[in-house]
Amino acid sequence: MTQFKASQGRKKAPLTPWKSKTKKPLPGVGSLNGRWGYFAIAPFFLIFLVFGVAPVVYSIYIAFFKWAPMEDPEFNGLNNFIVLLQDSDFWLAIRNTFSIWALSTFPQLFIAISLAAILRNKRLKGKSFWRTILLVPNITSIIAITIVFQQLFGREYGLINLLLALIPGVENIDFIEGVIPSHIQIATMITWRWVGYNILIFLASMLAIPDELYESASVDGATKWQQFRYVTLPSLKNTITFVLIVGTIGGLQVFAEPQQLNAEGGSSKQFLTLTLFLFNQAFLNNKYGYAAAVGIAITIIVLIISAVNFWITRKISGEGK
Amino acid sequence: MKRSIASKTLVGSLICASVTAGLLTVPAKAAEPVTLTIWTFGEVIQPALQREYMKLHPEIKIVPIKNDVDPLHQKTILSCQTGGPADIIAFETPYSGYWRTGNRPKCFQDLREMKTSSTNAAAGVAAGQSALDIKKNYLPWRWEQGVAFNDSVIGIPTDVGGLQVAYRTDLFKKAGLPTDRAAVSKLWPTWDKFIATGQKYVSKLTPAEKKAGKAFIDDAGSIYAAVMNQGTVKYYEPNNTDAGKLVYKTNPQIKTAWNTTVKAMNSGIGARLGQFTSDWNIGMNKGAMATILAPAWMLDYIKKQAPDTKGKWDIADLPVGGGNQGGTQLGVTGYSKNKQAAYDFLTWYLAPEQQLKVFKTYGLFPSTSVLYDDAALLEYKDEFFSNAPVGQIYTKGVLQLKPIFEGELQRTIDSKFGAGLGRVASKKMTSEKSFALVISDIDKLFKN
Repeated sequence: MTQFKASQGRKKAPLTPWKSKTKKPLPGVGSLNGRWGYFAIAPFFLIFLVFGVAPVVYSIYIAFFKWAPMEDPEFNGLNNFIVLLQDSDFWLAIRNTFSIWALSTFPQLFIAISLAAILRNKRLKGKSFWRTILLVPNITSIIAITIVFQQLFGREYGLINLLLALIPGVENIDFIEGVIPSHIQIATMITWRWVGYNILIFLASMLAIPDELYESASVDGATKWQQFRYVTLPSLKNTITFVLIVGTIGGLQVFAEPQQLNAEGGSSKQFLTLTLFLFNQAFLNNKYGYAAAVGIAITIIVLIISAVNFWITRKISGEGK
Repeated sequence: MKRSIASKTLVGSLICASVTAGLLTVPAKAAEPVTLTIWTFGEVIQPALQREYMKLHPEIKIVPIKNDVDPLHQKTILSCQTGGPADIIAFETPYSGYWRTGNRPKCFQDLREMKTSSTNAAAGVAAGQSALDIKKNYLPWRWEQGVAFNDSVIGIPTDVGGLQVAYRTDLFKKAGLPTDRAAVSKLWPTWDKFIATGQKYVSKLTPAEKKAGKAFIDDAGSIYAAVMNQGTVKYYEPNNTDAGKLVYKTNPQIKTAWNTTVKAMNSGIGARLGQFTSDWNIGMNKGAMATILAPAWMLDYIKKQAPDTKGKWDIADLPVGGGNQGGTQLGVTGYSKNKQAAYDFLTWYLAPEQQLKVFKTYGLFPSTSVLYDDAALLEYKDEFFSNAPVGQIYTKGVLQLKPIFEGELQRTIDSKFGAGLGRVASKKMTSEKSFALVISDIDKLFKN
């Protein structure tokens, strides 16, 4: 109601008085309101058209061809898709991708929220130092991370296995050949790279929670844990959704880490991911058309997941109100 | 008639004039700065020689850009379709079959059409030589790996990856095995004997050493490639076509190599350290393996990774004899804007004099066969490998080699077999099941 009144008042005395005084818009932001606005946003859409839309359309087109580099494409009908659905490697890649996604996303969520809660502490010393340090793994090259982690996860001389050897009766874990161990290794690399970024996101959203909520909670006799459980966590709901969505997008694109471990995704393709599968079809096996078909399949998977995500988000925010 | 003579004279004098003008402009052109971009991997382009050439020619800047072998191959394919910045590209022998067939030779300049300029005349490369003129310097079958099926010369060979056995004398002694290289070579005239020797070695290891992952050979899987390369046919059989005939299902050599390797794996002589992994590097220092099947180019890697093992290594003959692994060609790209400068560099860099230097400093074994009876090569000894006459040993091995027809997808097929053996080594699959999966994986390559 108050808003309605305010807008009525606005009619009498405009909040932007310069607009009524000068008929011509001032040079600057105002001048972009007219057709010049299209001009201003054009570069993005032009570049997007050339490097975004065109390749997508083109890859849909070539998905119907059999095409090796430097050779003439040959129409193949739906054959690529039929072969794809029968290709056991494709289904293996789906399994691996989701397994790695789950192993990296949920621990990451847990670590990020806990660390953010610690960093939120007002009495913490050297706050900006800790926050900056957290981003360092994120700007490190994936290749460098993989080299370091391979030393950690080495079967014979890796640090983790050297520590495990101290426990009697425990055998060395093969973090390359084992299915779940290899997924854990890759998920750890992903977590290492992205957890700092997520901590900062959670931290920002925690800092936006008004102090009054905590004060009244403590007046009501809530312990620190209860404050976290009933004040902090519910306020983070939207951020958690955001992090999950971004994590899902990233999770479906996991490529460099497994590729560095083994270009083919392991001896029994135990860590072949969807993107690596696509890449290998195009560039190891020289099947451009088939790779395009894989790309379309990935797009469909992403669409399905987005729909599920959207549905869940709506459900959560619906319950929140 | 007179008129035509006059016109001929005119044409003649024009040619003379343009030639003179051309000659006159050559020194001016040579002073122009040229940047040669080389896409390469590993130690194919040696920094010391690169510096030497840049000292000889201050106007030329050589920029090597390194990739791993497979990504480089992918880059080469893409750049061939779109153009690119590389003037020279290195391609490994397992990929040579790919570049030699179909319409792919056009990605590289036909070096028969190139002539060396006078720029390196003082450095020992005569002017006016085409690729066909320098062919005689190289091992004939090795040269052929850079010749496309349309006869154009797309690459000049750098090294030949002669394969021998590098072994640890101190560990052999501890296990009661002979240490002298002649006696060690006699231990394994066949692969079966090699495996038996390995079992004898492993039986002498203490339980603690065994638990620490120590064994006879770094990776039993490496036996596969060695045995394969001792045959004459791999996955493609020459049938007078460019493509060759695919024989990966029928070639008995494959089964022999596979079974030998599986036997070695099951006998427990391998430490299961995949080559070029961090475990392998560390294991080399810790004496986790007593032998490595080492191509000549690997010697330098061992020196760098395990400097403390200096003097503890020696080199013996490969079982059966004649081994090969790797080797590289350097080609000038079809789209290069500096073809002359690139060709001049290649003919200098791959000339016998320079290849001898490469061998002495980095251990890459030259494919310039004119060196094979050169005393400088034959008498060359390596302190790191107990003063073994590496020149002589690798020459002997290389001369025993039989040329192999390298097909289009050689490397990809090789990697499928590698993965298959990996499954057996990690006991995830039985040998038969894994072999069947390899074949069906290869079948898929040719499907759509």
